[in-house]
Amino acid sequence: MKARPVYKIFLGVFIFLIVFWSVAPLLWIFISSISERTELYSKPPHWIPDNPTLKAYKTVLITGESFRGGGGIAATDLLKKGIINSLIVAITTTFLVMFFAPLLGYAFSRLKFKGSQIFFYFIIGIIALPSWPVLIGLFSVFSDLHLLDSKIGLILLSFTFRLPFETWFMKGYFESVPGEIEDAARIDGCTRIQTLYKVSLQMVMPGLIAVSIVSFLSTWNMFSAPLVLTYTLKSKPLTVTMTEFIGQYFVHWDLMSAATMISIIPPLIIVIFFQKYIIEGLSAGAIK
Amino acid sequence: MIKRVSVWLDNEQHLAYVILVPALILLLGFAYYPAFQSFRFSMLRYNLKLPNRIKFNGLDNYIYVLKDPVFIASVLRVLYFMVIATIAVMVISLGISLVLNKKFRGRGILRAIVIIPWALPPVVNGHLWKWIFNGDYGALNGLLLQLGIIKDYHFWLNNSFVALNLAVFLFVWRYTPFITILFLGVLQSVPGQLYEAARVDGAGVFKQFYYITMASLSRIGGVALILTLIASFNVFDGIYALMGFSESTKTPMIYNYELTFEMGRFGRGSAMAYLVGFFLFLLTLFYIRMSFQKDKI
Repeated sequence: MKARPVYKIFLGVFIFLIVFWSVAPLLWIFISSISERTELYSKPPHWIPDNPTLKAYKTVLITGESFRGGGGIAATDLLKKGIINSLIVAITTTFLVMFFAPLLGYAFSRLKFKGSQIFFYFIIGIIALPSWPVLIGLFSVFSDLHLLDSKIGLILLSFTFRLPFETWFMKGYFESVPGEIEDAARIDGCTRIQTLYKVSLQMVMPGLIAVSIVSFLSTWNMFSAPLVLTYTLKSKPLTVTMTEFIGQYFVHWDLMSAATMISIIPPLIIVIFFQKYIIEGLSAGAIK
Repeated sequence: MIKRVSVWLDNEQHLAYVILVPALILLLGFAYYPAFQSFRFSMLRYNLKLPNRIKFNGLDNYIYVLKDPVFIASVLRVLYFMVIATIAVMVISLGISLVLNKKFRGRGILRAIVIIPWALPPVVNGHLWKWIFNGDYGALNGLLLQLGIIKDYHFWLNNSFVALNLAVFLFVWRYTPFITILFLGVLQSVPGQLYEAARVDGAGVFKQFYYITMASLSRIGGVALILTLIASFNVFDGIYALMGFSESTKTPMIYNYELTFEMGRFGRGSAMAYLVGFFLFLLTLFYIRMSFQKDKI
């Protein structure tokens, strides 16, 4: 079918609307973060700043000029510690996922063992567990195990709640690649574990990347669980510390925008480089 | 020794159980057992601030919550939230996925752009829009003023009905990409010959849309509907950042957090969590059944 001009115009309008809908808010936050405060606080605001400046970033990360309130914790600490905690928790969780996801997928797709059905439902069943009953109980479990306010606690928790997605997704992925090459490797004398790491892993690699990326994002974005389970800068992730930064201190909007920009940079980078895998991960295992 | 271990491990059963044990321990310890714990709490008089006055009180907590006017109001509020949010997400996702399904230059980039709102931390989503809706210097006010739609700046979030709808909007903005991707996956698997054949048979654009596009989306549409209902019920982060514990957007999720962790009412909070959770559980079971059907076919 030849593209008619009317059709092209319609398509163009729709594409513009979609782009505006998705990125206009972020663009505005970015502009707010590099604007002079006087320009930002004019009515209507200057949409394009006359004197772009990185002052807000310097303030929230390095100098931390006079913030009101805050109970003795410097605002710059709040953000820097938050970034470090979030990175440690998200990266460690992702590594755990990268290690266990192929194993679990392999077990449920290739190995015959007693109770495999039951174990599978036991893992998948978590999806049906609503979050608040679990979180309230977790508070007492964490307190018994001395895991409250610890990064290890957060890592174990976020890893646990990635398990159903990993297992379901990797099981499906293993089933979609042929097992013949693995059988051949077995006949050549490889043990199952050798076969898994030398042969299978390469075939399911795209799936594994998808699972890992989605795990990183969901751990980085986690908020309500750490809000309940952490209470000092030793373990609070960035989502929690920046909420405190904005809520407890009297913060100007240019500074708040800079803090927001910092917290969305990792997800943005990931979307730009790994969108193909994210789409695969989202559409194949439609869990949460 | 190493040799013997590796021979032992090469047995299908042994290997499977070695792989499963760590996962099962974590699931028991951090998911199933805590859920059981809070079930126990739900039948106790348990105020975190009065730790030595814990006492069994049967179903008192459940009765208290069911009679609590704040809880009833929050349930009605979230039902409104779910209906509006789900309709909006379904319609907008359908529209965006239809555009993304067309062939044009830069489609890959557009797809990446569309996912962005979903990838951001939901709580940041709240902070971001709070600044845009700000009554003193917000961009929404600025834009509407320049377009001549309003004459004066408004404090949008001070009006409780407007605030609730803006909270819905936040959810729709964040969740639409996810459903869009689900729809797009199905649309792209529809063979082009189907449309070709329909055209040859004389089907117009609308008939093609109804009988091919919509029909192919019907099954994933059901899954998407339930997922959106569950997710819209569960919203916490965005509302917390946007409105805190404000009355106007207090959904059961927000109220549950406030009651349990702000006020320390572990017993009542657990009972509420179970009442709310039972409803969600039914929705989720429905979802799991549907998506397993999808797997089988």
